[in-house]
Amino acid sequence: MAILQTKNLSKVYNPDTVPVHALRDVSITIDKGEFTSIVGPSGSGKTTLLNMLGGLDKPTSGSVWVNGEEITSMKESKLIDFRLHNIGFVFQHYNLIPVFTAHENVSFIMLLQNRSKKEIRERADDLLEQVGLGDRKNARPVQMSGGQQQRVAVARALASEPKFILADEPTANLDSTSAMNLLDIMNKMNREQNVTFVFSTHDQRVIDRARRVITMVDGAIHKDEYRDVEETAEN
Amino acid sequence: MKTLLTIAWRNIWRNPARSGVLLAAIVAGLWAGVVTVGIINGLMQQRIDYMIESEITHAQIHHPEFLAEGYSWLYIPDHDEIISRLENDSRVLSFTSRTITDGMLQSPVKTSGVRIRGIDADKERETTTFHENLIEGEYLDSGMSSAILIGQEMAREHSMEIGNRVVLTFEDVNNELISASFNIVGIFRSASTDYDRTNVFIRSEEFIKLLSHKPVYHEIGMMLVHEDLAGEKVADLNDHFAGIKAQTWRQLSPELSMLVELGGVMVIIITMIIMAALAFGILNTMLMALFERMREIGMLISIGMSKLRVFTTIMFESVILTLTGAAAGFLLAWITIGYLSGSGLNLEMFAEGAAQLGWDHIIYPVLTPGEYVIIIIVVVLITLISSLYPAIKGIRINPLEAAKSS
Ligand SMILES: Nc1ncnc2c1ncn2[C@@H]1O[C@H](COP(=O)(O)OP(=O)(O)OP(=O)(O)O)[C@@H](O)[C@H]1O
Ligand SMILES: [Mg+2]
Repeated sequence: MAILQTKNLSKVYNPDTVPVHALRDVSITIDKGEFTSIVGPSGSGKTTLLNMLGGLDKPTSGSVWVNGEEITSMKESKLIDFRLHNIGFVFQHYNLIPVFTAHENVSFIMLLQNRSKKEIRERADDLLEQVGLGDRKNARPVQMSGGQQQRVAVARALASEPKFILADEPTANLDSTSAMNLLDIMNKMNREQNVTFVFSTHDQRVIDRARRVITMVDGAIHKDEYRDVEETAEN
Repeated sequence: MKTLLTIAWRNIWRNPARSGVLLAAIVAGLWAGVVTVGIINGLMQQRIDYMIESEITHAQIHHPEFLAEGYSWLYIPDHDEIISRLENDSRVLSFTSRTITDGMLQSPVKTSGVRIRGIDADKERETTTFHENLIEGEYLDSGMSSAILIGQEMAREHSMEIGNRVVLTFEDVNNELISASFNIVGIFRSASTDYDRTNVFIRSEEFIKLLSHKPVYHEIGMMLVHEDLAGEKVADLNDHFAGIKAQTWRQLSPELSMLVELGGVMVIIITMIIMAALAFGILNTMLMALFERMREIGMLISIGMSKLRVFTTIMFESVILTLTGAAAGFLLAWITIGYLSGSGLNLEMFAEGAAQLGWDHIIYPVLTPGEYVIIIIVVVLITLISSLYPAIKGIRINPLEAAKSS
């Protein structure tokens, strides 16, 4: 079932001065349960595409559909609410509220969703446990390593029970051990809970873990391949 | 809601130095401003009370043209009927009749224009505090005939002292020029040097004998139970008696009512300065904080925090910060004014010239509950208004800020 779809998506920056064609006619479909990596050289349009998929930016033409709903024409306030309930985000940095603890950061998004206190507490506990931070619940972001912070971000993204999670270079600031550790967690959630991930990366070891790799060049889809990655599933 | 408050509260303490500076500035500014307003109020009120109690009284009655002309034949008609009406009015605490005429005072040194005030020593003492102004010699109740009190400034200009004689020349009610000599028995100093240079006091019964074959009075001054009653009492008298003019202290002394207005204007100016500083402080601090947190706020909008919630959080932050400071400053000011209103603020070292201008040097600051409430309302309004701009700026932040890679 397609939960995410783009139709002839194009984005031109600075159309009036020096036009930059960041996306050219991108049409992709992502199904529930996919573990998809978007790769390509710097400037090829990965970030631009992820921003469109997340409803953070408007395309110049074409459309984005989430779960059968077109988000490109949504009003801003409706879109914010739509993101809250449907899309999880993991950014490269600045993921967390610095004045909140890990537990509060994960709880926060559920508070925004107006869930019950009890559910929020239990789910935040459970998710932090799942990302291996059961003992760092009360740590603030500055007290955690980059890898730990990204794990909190993944837990936070998952907490809202989104249709899918978008992650733009989630491991770019991490050492390779932390990067692999984060990937393991994402992978495990994908396999065990059927959580859909779409992430961009430059890191070959991260790319190796993806079951689908979409390669972009110059704003267009260059290659779109499904692979068998059973050998990494032992983690 | 509670979560938003928590974020706001913790955000305040993210940069303790910056928040602390703003907080300290607000506390100090509000404290200084409110105390200053209290001092100005106290200064004005004391001046007004002094003028009313020592001379002007709450209301006065004259012949309609007397105050402008000063002639002895412009005396109050129906004096005795007016007096009996005042005696039977429970709103009137006390009153006194004065016989007044403009004339010349001659000393061996020179001649100068004076207003000669004939007073009833006992009734004057019941009605005003003029007798407290005596700095030397005796009051007019010593029994000595042809006694006169002169002001310190006049004594200085004429190089006169107690025991000297002066000659007063004035027109009686029949337009005849009269001269009589008086002995200086006392010297007074009021709050106004000018007043002390141009007014002399003699006994009214002696004055009347020189002016007319029947009692004439030019001024009735009265103290009322409460200052606020002056307006209605004056209206009542003007309705009942033709050929007189009753006036309240405000009408009698444009200087005093201007002072009241001036005090009000100064209070407004001080309040505006403080409020401008307050608004500037909030804007500066909050815009700085916001600028540092562009990405964080972009992230919050990205993950689905509504604009209303972002707005509320930023508002909370500036309002909590400001109102905490304002409350502390206010409390301090309240304590200060409470203390000073008992002990008084001694401005002697700045006030050398003040007495000459007619001001006390010990000030008892006052602030009415109404003024406290107004200042609180203004502070809250200014805080809300100046917090609005950073909050609106906050919700305009592009969610893409969070996605930027460096
Ligand atoms: N806000 C913008 N204004 C103008 N041009 C932009 C803007 N954002 C991106 N671009 C341009 O669009 C193109 C695609 O950029 P994008 O950031 O999507 O690439 P990317 O694949 O994510 O690169 P990287 O691997 O370096 O993150 C680039 O040429 C970039 O310079
Ligand atoms: Mg990028």
